[in-house]
Amino acid sequence: MLPPMLLDPAAAYPKVAVLRAALDSGDWPACRETLDGAEPVERTCLTTVAAETEGITDFLRGVLSGDPSDGAAGALLGRHLAGSGDFTAAERVLVDAAARSPLDPAIWTVRLRTARGLRLGPSEARRRYDRLAEIDRHHVPGQSQYLRYLGGHDPDAAYDFARTAAAEATPGSLSPVLVAEYHIDRHIAAGHLDDATVHTELDEAADRSVHHPDYRHTHGWVRVTSTFAMAYALIGDDRAAAGLFGALGDHHSAQPWDLLGDPATVISRYRKRATGGEQ
Amino acid sequence: MINRSEIGGIPVLHTPTTGPLHAGLVFRVGQVDEPLARRGVTHLIEHLALHSFGAADHHYNAATGAEFTWFHMRGTEAEVVAFLNGVCAALRNLPEQRLAAEKEILRTEGNSRDTGPGEALALWRHGAESYGSVAYPEWGLADLTIDDLRSWTARYFNRQNAALWIAGAGVPAGLDLDLPDGDRQPVPPVSSALPVRPAWFPGGADLVAWDTVVPRGAPALVFAGVLERVLFRSLRQEGGLSYTVRADVSARADGTAVITALADSLPEKQGAVLGAFVDVLAAMRLGVIDEADVAAVVKNRADEITGAGSLPGEVFNLLTGQRVRTTAEEIQAELRAVGRDDVVAVAAVAVAEGLLMTPGRTRADWAGYAEAPAGSDAAVDGRVHAALGYRPDGATLTVAADGVTLTRGDDLATVRFDSCAAVLAWPDGARRLIGHDGIQVHAEPTLFADGPAVTAAIDTAVDPGARVTMPAREPESIPVPQRRPGLLTRVRWAYIRNRRLTWAVLNGLGAVALGVFGCYAIGSVLFGDETWNVLGGGFFAVLISAAWLGSVRRRFRELMRD
Repeated sequence: MLPPMLLDPAAAYPKVAVLRAALDSGDWPACRETLDGAEPVERTCLTTVAAETEGITDFLRGVLSGDPSDGAAGALLGRHLAGSGDFTAAERVLVDAAARSPLDPAIWTVRLRTARGLRLGPSEARRRYDRLAEIDRHHVPGQSQYLRYLGGHDPDAAYDFARTAAAEATPGSLSPVLVAEYHIDRHIAAGHLDDATVHTELDEAADRSVHHPDYRHTHGWVRVTSTFAMAYALIGDDRAAAGLFGALGDHHSAQPWDLLGDPATVISRYRKRATGGEQ
Repeated sequence: MINRSEIGGIPVLHTPTTGPLHAGLVFRVGQVDEPLARRGVTHLIEHLALHSFGAADHHYNAATGAEFTWFHMRGTEAEVVAFLNGVCAALRNLPEQRLAAEKEILRTEGNSRDTGPGEALALWRHGAESYGSVAYPEWGLADLTIDDLRSWTARYFNRQNAALWIAGAGVPAGLDLDLPDGDRQPVPPVSSALPVRPAWFPGGADLVAWDTVVPRGAPALVFAGVLERVLFRSLRQEGGLSYTVRADVSARADGTAVITALADSLPEKQGAVLGAFVDVLAAMRLGVIDEADVAAVVKNRADEITGAGSLPGEVFNLLTGQRVRTTAEEIQAELRAVGRDDVVAVAAVAVAEGLLMTPGRTRADWAGYAEAPAGSDAAVDGRVHAALGYRPDGATLTVAADGVTLTRGDDLATVRFDSCAAVLAWPDGARRLIGHDGIQVHAEPTLFADGPAVTAAIDTAVDPGARVTMPAREPESIPVPQRRPGLLTRVRWAYIRNRRLTWAVLNGLGAVALGVFGCYAIGSVLFGDETWNVLGGGFFAVLISAAWLGSVRRRFRELMRD
């Protein structure tokens, strides 16, 4: 009997549920309280809640028309519109939000998502990333977005970016996951994971992140650990994958497993294979 | 301090200064007054008026601008008096014998003149009339006769349409400025080719440019300065994206001011320069403007104001009925009265009325700018002339009683005869019609069925005053219908265009064929009488086919991502 699988981020991060409830009930002060009390990376990650919550466009537009300078509302509305595929509408909101709150990392992170959706050129994506990096050099949700942008344009640049960002990251932090994300992405696109260098690079990145003694369960840790587990599982290093599945316990992240199909099915298959069915 | 006086009915603005005398005679006429088919007439007259001062040892010059034409000189009293009286004499009696030679000089000058972003912005904003005319070549030169010039000077180079400025000890004696009587000529109404604003259009690869029209005055001046500072900071200092960043203001006779801003770009940085530019404009529109920037600009601009610096500008004001300021203190006070709120108010109008020239193949729809019309909405209803020879775009030319339409795929270009600014006519029958909106239809009779009928229909319908005679073309530069390329060439083109897709499809077909072959082999063992070793081969083929299909699927997925 396999343990239950907690795919909902609210399971690992209680603030997700709080924000979700506040958005659903249209309680803006509660939304702000949750976001304002969050660490920068946590805050940016929390904005993705808006991408998955339906029917909040009018509510957020109302908040913005009441206080156009509310950067949190701009970031949430931009993320929400981008999540529904309307990148033009999202960008309109974000242009204004960035003009009014130029130092909000969540806004620049969503603008990296819209740069990809709107097929803006590489120099503009780079500019957006540079604006973000000026605020926070290791803002992992934004780094992740920029990596995905680069992956679609220039795999070599994506590779360099992932390696550099991982090397410059504080030991024990989340950013080295970019190396794992890069290799998973290339595997899905071109199937190249069966390679000794890939394994070495993954080990190096994991040593600076999930396997580092300073690695903490800050917001985003489930996805980072899950991503490393997936990368190890895909290259067939079941031992390393099993270790990470163990560290995750019941927690799992739907991304990036959803690249392979239904996350719950895929995760249990790979977990079973890695752990020899013990879990 | 500016003193006002008059010489023979011509208003004079004088500022006392030391040193040599500097004076300028200004007429309220310029490119905006010229119909497209007479483009260059003012410039030609300006050249003819200066011709008699051949020697280059005098400090004189003249210029033809959009709204004004002026002649000025620096020197002793006697030199200035002789120059200005001489200009007036030449304008009264243009040297006819110089006509052909000056036309040639102007044609040479026109060929070597670079058109900047200002011309492109003017064309897209105003079309082929009024303030858009400046963007076009001096097409009038070919057909202008001395009589055309005389009627132009009578209308515009007259006593009532002139004003004089003088910087020096005093108004010199002996200036009689003998000009015929006439009328003050108002500036023609401003035309618009932009149904929706803010708008964008594609420009050259190395530049983002933007212009707008706002009410003129000190707030507009300060806003332009603030915009330049913020653009400079964002694009050059912080982003390192541009080298040249500039914003300029020029006042217009109708009480507006045109603000033009530009930032240059390396080809590989186009997107980022555009993005940063758009972000700065958004900040301006939303009033995210720093008090310190406003204060710095106000101080710089006020410090720039000196006694005689604004003298020609005040003469322009005088000629167009705008208020004339007579002291530097008055202008400085206007500037110092500008606060952050005034700049915020101008900024909102400025960005809403803006026209953005995007570099290379970048677009600005994503940033909320409407695409400026590059074609027409409707076609005329008339006789359709099909293209001759091979035209992959399936072009047709439609000629009706009221206009012509060139259709290429979904793109329409229509010029109606009643809004045709000019038609360029080549001796071989080619015609190019330019509509008031700037849309052009180029009709090559050799390329369309019954082409000579097209030329004849256009010549009958277009106002002869809009016609511009073009020089004969070399026979080899007259186009001929293209031969349809052979099948092999077309297949090669199609392959080059879709190389990766072709390979992926061929691979897919190969993989499927191998799979079918494998299944057939297995089937013929199970249900037929083939030997067992065929079964092994069949399985092997199916296996290879499956792996092959997997790689094809990945290749397709990569294609989709691009």
